Order: sequence, then structure tokens, then C-alpha cells
Amino acid sequence: MAIEGIDLIKAASFLGAGLAMGLGAIGPGVGEGMVGAKACEAIGKNPGEAGLLTRTMLVGQAVSESTGIYSLVIALLLLFVV
Amino acid sequence: MEDLGRIHQLIVPFMGRDLTFNLDVIVMTWIAIAAMLVFGFLASRNRSRLPGPFQVLGELFVSQLYALTEDALDQERGKAYRPLICALFMFLLFCNWMGLFPHMHEPTKDLNTPLSLGLMGFVIAHYAGIKQKGFKEYAKAYFQPIFFMAPLNIIGELSKVISISFRLFGNIMGGSIIVLVVSHLVFSLVLPPFLNAFFVIFIGAIQAFVFTMLTLVYISVQVN
Amino acid sequence: MLNDIESWVKVAAFAGAGLSMGLGAIGAAIGEGFAAAKANDAIARSPDSSGDIFKLMLVGQAVAETAAIFALVIGVILLFSNFSAAAPISVAALLGAGICMGFGAMGSGVGSGFPAGEACEGVSRQPAVKGNLTTNMLIGSAVSQTPAIFAMVVSFMLMFINYSGAPLHPTSAALLGAGFATGLAAIGSGLGSGLAAGASCQGSARQPLTSANVTIIMLVGQAVAQTPSIFGLLISFVLMFKSYAPSETLAASIALVSAGLCIGFGGIGPGVGNGMTAQSAVGWVARNVRQEAVLMRTMLVGQAVSQSTAIYAMVIALALIFLI
Repeated sequence: MAIEGIDLIKAASFLGAGLAMGLGAIGPGVGEGMVGAKACEAIGKNPGEAGLLTRTMLVGQAVSESTGIYSLVIALLLLFVV
Repeated sequence: MEDLGRIHQLIVPFMGRDLTFNLDVIVMTWIAIAAMLVFGFLASRNRSRLPGPFQVLGELFVSQLYALTEDALDQERGKAYRPLICALFMFLLFCNWMGLFPHMHEPTKDLNTPLSLGLMGFVIAHYAGIKQKGFKEYAKAYFQPIFFMAPLNIIGELSKVISISFRLFGNIMGGSIIVLVVSHLVFSLVLPPFLNAFFVIFIGAIQAFVFTMLTLVYISVQVN
Repeated sequence: MLNDIESWVKVAAFAGAGLSMGLGAIGAAIGEGFAAAKANDAIARSPDSSGDIFKLMLVGQAVAETAAIFALVIGVILLFSNFSAAAPISVAALLGAGICMGFGAMGSGVGSGFPAGEACEGVSRQPAVKGNLTTNMLIGSAVSQTPAIFAMVVSFMLMFINYSGAPLHPTSAALLGAGFATGLAAIGSGLGSGLAAGASCQGSARQPLTSANVTIIMLVGQAVAQTPSIFGLLISFVLMFKSYAPSETLAASIALVSAGLCIGFGGIGPGVGNGMTAQSAVGWVARNVRQEAVLMRTMLVGQAVSQSTAIYAMVIALALIFLI
């Protein structure tokens, strides 16, 4: 196997892209799950406000998903720009 | 096993480019549409106070999904969108359950179908948002919390299309591959009916519902 | 350095067996420990039904052990089989099989401990619903084993499909990646399904009348929580069955391994998160059964949104496989 400079850089950027998206998905996944869990709990306690609670849940999840989207952007940059 | 990932394609040269048609998917989509039309015809013909089986099913679908839509949007706006939501759910359900029949494939197994449905939902949601709030208010939402977050907000909005369509595609494709491979491994003894019941009927119904709900939620987020 | 392929294949098989059993024992041990702890708690609370609790604990632990037994089976096959088609590519395939089963048994082992523990505690609270609880626990922990079963299927295919015709260089990386994809992605889904199953045992012990509703929402929640492991399985199958052009570059190989790592790690978080959402929804259906429909809807939407990061990981993995 011949390893040259440009090959090594490409390999490193692919590995980086995979790890960035893979590890970057753990946090938002758990966090958004916790948001969903609390929303279910709140609806169970106070079903009258279900619409408001669902909307709040979606906004909270969208915000905590932004770190996942940053990972996606970095991974795409590593794949196609570097 | 040999058919894994094989697609019948028709490639037509057009204006110097190749247009690719996935024939299987087109045929299967039309079969799903035909099945829906037949179902609609059977459900709405001879309506009576003592409903027949098709009328019961049709009324169940329609009333549940209408109630759902009016719950998420409000009564007035719900009226405009409930036929869309109802049709989307029934189309996806017919598509996802098609894999039960031998020699038929789910059209949703091809990424093009979920992606076009996802794009459709995206366009409708944003059109509804602009119509509701006016373009200025709509555009303002992208510059929250600070103006330079705009590119990331736009990527975040676009990635919703990716997530909604790949979720359906991944589940249906994964399910059908599992059914195929595991049936092959056990020489098609005993297991296949249970695998089909779980991956095709159960997961197919859940994913059709999730796709419909998310389209509805995206519309309601833009509107409210 | 040893240069003959026969011994390298043996080395890979033994290392794979060790990884499979070693990693695979972690989860089941934790899960069974949780069940035993809860059972002790329960016996202390109501010593009268200690016989029932003890029996239930043993049944629950036996189910929780299933994942570790899968790992044992794969380990034994790797140790004692004579892999006659000893091509260089078998090294990666056997190592991948061990890694896949080892990681894959982790989540399901821990996860199916939760329903066992909660069922023991439930019997101490409501000895009358013992039969109902046992059924609920068995269903819940059996479904929690699904990710481990996916991992076992991939391990079997890695061990017994003959890859000797495929080009060595990208394919060996692809097989290793296939092992990582299903194995790691199964951790989150196994754990998450277990959380949902535990909540359902707790719920049907507290409110025995809602037992049927609780079981239904548990099954729906578990099915959605298993989506990340289905994505991992999808990537594994793509990696195993795609035919590769021979390539001597490092980049082509690394891209395939990192596709597996990407969906593998990316599936852990959403799996656990979906499980937590399902856990809470199941618990609140038991307490407030009239709101079942709205809770199920909120749970599905919440889970679907928290899955999107797993889907981004799948997109990156597919891009690494097909576009590079």
C-alpha cells in the first residue's frame, strides 16, 4: 500500500467527517430525547395545554438540534471541500 | 438474494443529458394510486346509515385524520389542509404495505419517492408561512437570534427535508432488506410471516403516521 | 513477523472471539445486577411474596442473559470453527464479526435488565397481578433483544459469506466498517427499548387496569427507538454487498471504516434519547390513560425529531460509501 501526502490528508478528512457526525450525534440525540420525555410528562400532568407544550417541545428540540446540524455542516465540509 | 439493490431503469437521452426513470417505482406508485382510487370508490359508493366494511374504514381514516389536523392547526386553517394530510397518510400506508405481496416493491424503498414527498411538504409549509405572516415577518425569523445565524438557520430548515425523507427511506429499505436476508438465512421457514408482520405492517404504519405528523407539524410551526 | 495467512486468520478468529465475549458480557452483567438489586429491594419491602419475586427475578435474568448467550455462540464458533477458505480478507471479516456481536450485546443486555427489575418491584407492590406482569416483562425484554439479534445476523454473515473473490483492499475495510455499524448502533437502541419496557412494567404494576394500553404504547415506542439500529443494519448490508473497485489508496479504505463508525456512534444517542421519551410516555399513559392518544402522538413526534441526528449520520455514511 503506497501512502502519499495527499492520500493521507484525504484519509484523515474522511475519518474526521465520520467521527464528527457520529460522535456529534450522541449529544443532541440524548438531549432531544430528554426534551421529549419532559414534554410527555407535562402533557400527562396538564393535558389542557397539549398544543402549547408540543410547540414548546419542538422549539426546544430544534434549538438543541443545532449542534447536530453544526456537526453535519463540518462533516460535509470535510467530505467535499477539504 | 441476487435481486438485492437491482433496479430496472429506463435511460432516455434528452437535450444532451440522460434522464433516468426507475420503471419499477413508477409502476408501483401508479398501482398504489389505483388502489387508493378503488378504495375511495368502494368507500363512498352506496353510503348508508348502516355502513358496509369499506365505508367504516373510510370514515375511520377520514374522521381521525381530520380531527388530528384540526387539533394541530386550528379549526379554520385545518379545513384547508386536512384533505392533504389524509391523502398523504393513506398514500404512504398503501405504499408501505405493498411489500407484503410477492413480486411487488414499496415505492418508498426508492429515495426519490420520500424525497419528493418531503420537498412537497417543505414547499407547502413555507408557502403557508409566507401567506400567513407576510414575507417580511417570515424572513425575519431567519435572522433570530442574531443576523449572522441566517446561513445556519437556512441549513437547519433544509435539513428537515433530509431528515423526514431519509427516515422513511431508511426504515422501509432496512426493513425490506432484513426480511429478504433473514428469510434467505432460514431457508424461508417459519420466520418470514412474523418478520413481515413486524417490519412491513407495523413499522410501515408507524412510519407513514410519523411522516404525516411531521409534515403537519412543519406546517403548524410555520403558521403559528 | 508471521507471513502465512493461515495463522493470521487464526489470530483474527481468536481476537474476535475474545472481543465478542468480553464486550458482550458487560451489558448482561449490568442488567442482571440491576434486576437482582431491585429484587432484593422488593423482598425487603414484602417478604411474604419472596418466593414469587425470586422466581420472577430468575426468569427475568434468564431473558436478560440472551444477549450474552448470543455473544457466547459467536465466540465459540470463532474459536472452534475451521475457517478453511483462509483468504487474507477473512482476517477483517472475522474481526468484524467479533466486534459486531460484542458491542451489539451490550445495550440489549443492560436494557432487558430494566423490565426484570421493575417487574420484581411491581410484584412486591401488587402481588395479585403477577401473571400480567410476567407477560409484560417477557414481551418487553424480548423486543429489547432485537438489536442484539441484528448484530448476530451481521456476525453470521461476516463469518460465513465467502469474500475471497472480492478485491482485498477496500473490501476488508468495508467488512470491518459493517461490524462497527451494526454493533455500535445496537447499543443505544437496546438500552432505549429497555427503558421503555421497564417503564411499562412499573406502570402496569401501579395501574393494573391500564395494562393493555401500556403494552401497546411500549411496543410502538420500542419500535421507533429501534430505528437507529435498523439504520446501522442498512449501512452494514450496503457495506457488505456493494462490489468495490480494487484500490490501493488509504483514503478509500478509511472512508468505508469511518462510514461504519459514523452511523454506529451516531445511532447511540438517538437510541437512548428515543428510549427516554418512550419511558416517560409509557409511565404517563399508565397514570393518565384518558390522554393516551395525545401522549402517543407527542411521543412519536418527539422521537422522530430526536432521530434526525441519526439520519444525518446515515446521510454522511451513505455519502462516504457512494460519493467518495
